[in-house]
Amino acid sequence: MRALGASLLLAVAAYAQADLSGVWVVSGNPDITGDLPYTAEAMKVWQEHKANLRDKDPATYCLPNGVVRVTTLPYKIVQTAKLVVILSEGNTHSFRRLFLDGRGHQHVEEVEPDSWTGHSIAKWEGDTLVVDTIGFNDRAWLDSTGKPHSDALHVTERFRRASPSRLEVEYTLEDSKFLTKPFKFTRVFALAPGRELQEQFCTDLNHLIPEKR
Amino acid sequence: MHFRLGIPIAAVVLPLAAHHSFEAEYDFNKSVKVTGVVSKMEWMNPHPHFYVDVKDADGKVTHWNMELGAIPVLLKQGWRKDSLKQGDTVTVEGYAAKDGTKAMANARRVLLPDGRQVFGGSSAPVRDGQ
Amino acid sequence: MNVRRRLTYILSAAAAALLLLSTGYAQDNGKAGKLKEIIPPGRQAPRPLGPTGPTGVVPRAADGKPDLSGLWNGQRALPGQEGPVMRPWAETLTKERTENYSAEDPEAHCLPGGVPRAIPYHHQIVQTPNLVLILFEGNIHTFRQIFLDRKEHLKNIEPRWYGDSIGHWDGDTLVVDTVGFNDKFWFDMAGHPHTNQLHVIEKYHRRDFGNMEIEVTIDDPETYVKPWITKREASLETAIEMTEYVCNENNSDVLHLVGK
Repeated sequence: MRALGASLLLAVAAYAQADLSGVWVVSGNPDITGDLPYTAEAMKVWQEHKANLRDKDPATYCLPNGVVRVTTLPYKIVQTAKLVVILSEGNTHSFRRLFLDGRGHQHVEEVEPDSWTGHSIAKWEGDTLVVDTIGFNDRAWLDSTGKPHSDALHVTERFRRASPSRLEVEYTLEDSKFLTKPFKFTRVFALAPGRELQEQFCTDLNHLIPEKR
Repeated sequence: MHFRLGIPIAAVVLPLAAHHSFEAEYDFNKSVKVTGVVSKMEWMNPHPHFYVDVKDADGKVTHWNMELGAIPVLLKQGWRKDSLKQGDTVTVEGYAAKDGTKAMANARRVLLPDGRQVFGGSSAPVRDGQ
Repeated sequence: MNVRRRLTYILSAAAAALLLLSTGYAQDNGKAGKLKEIIPPGRQAPRPLGPTGPTGVVPRAADGKPDLSGLWNGQRALPGQEGPVMRPWAETLTKERTENYSAEDPEAHCLPGGVPRAIPYHHQIVQTPNLVLILFEGNIHTFRQIFLDRKEHLKNIEPRWYGDSIGHWDGDTLVVDTVGFNDKFWFDMAGHPHTNQLHVIEKYHRRDFGNMEIEVTIDDPETYVKPWITKREASLETAIEMTEYVCNENNSDVLHLVGK
């Protein structure tokens, strides 16, 4: 184990304190357990979602999960010196870009003030990748139970490869409109060696497109 | 980084806002020109839509749905989410929807309150003199 | 209106709008977000020919290969190239699709553009020694993976919108070979079709810092009598970041698309 760890470090010594690359699958319940310190208004919105889960769920309409909600399908992390990319097999079969090149959130201020997945900037603290994301719209759910957030959501993720086959992500959620105080929780992902992302597109409902020949 | 005046950054030679073909949704022969007050901007994909309340001579108000080009195209032209604000008076020139939907058009040009005339990122073919 | 005339109109519109874009960026570097006034046709400078991205040396990866990484503008076909030679069924189908104003283009329904559709939005290339990613701003916000550590294609996979791509370096050119396609996507708005026997070869060559040359070969004998080869270019984006283009978040167009 120690030899593996040492060679892992040597292999990536050129540009990072750790290598998060690999195909990862969430362990355990993907939903947020524990009580979010919601404001009264947020609780009301959550109740509305819960009353009509399937109809109100953006995922039903092939819309993005955002950065907090995860599926049980695999994610692939591709790491370079200035950019970490997270590919998602499920949900919208899309990607997140975590910028490690020292940029700030100007893109949010000047170009795209809100999006489903926000704007993520990252830096290394020892062997932990700390990711700061803002610039959200209020349309994504925090998990499949319909937990809402506002456009003031601010997510901090701390990615740490605790062992070669275990990725721990500690989330801190702040939301000045919907949360009375910050909320932390941790998720674990297991390495899925030999597994590669398959192609699936939620919007590909065969019966919608007539095929002519 | 600065660029010398007049040199295009990307002289792209392909359809703008190519999410769908212009002809499938709008009628090039049905020009539209209306003046009204912006009530809403939906800055969303695949095309932002803004809504204009147009009052006719009798005072009756029609709510026009105007389609802009795709956001990546608009951003390059300087459009931002808040370029049009609720309450702005604008004149929009464009082409009406082909399927007969009333008060819906593809916005080719927009005359802003300050007198500037700007491009709506439309994928409509260019006519002489435009 | 035939395809060629429509293309001419579209090209003129594109040229007009991009001259608008150029003067805008010359002045404020894309930061101010101020809408630029339309320049009447008479006052426009002619569009320059040739590569338009910034010049400079091609960056190299740690392994010595050219580094194709970067945020690129949409690929665009070079002018004046030969069109495809189609089998009769394909000609008929393409004509039908075009005459129907491309109303049934899967792209208009926020379905994947497949390979090798040239899409006028940004794409980001992320290169590592064993894997090259292409991240698409649009037509839909998705990705391709090009595997450099595999010499053989996957067997027995479900037909895919983006197929299975393997790549290798031939000098300074990245050669990407893709099979395993479904037959659902269109190559372009005109509606050129293909079968699931489609085999695409793309050759990426970073000419200089800001300009990429791409040669695309569409090899599908059941559709095209001989391989259909086209050359494209792409320029590096230097002023703006790509946005999150969620095609289906408000696709009201789909309700209003009318064919012939």
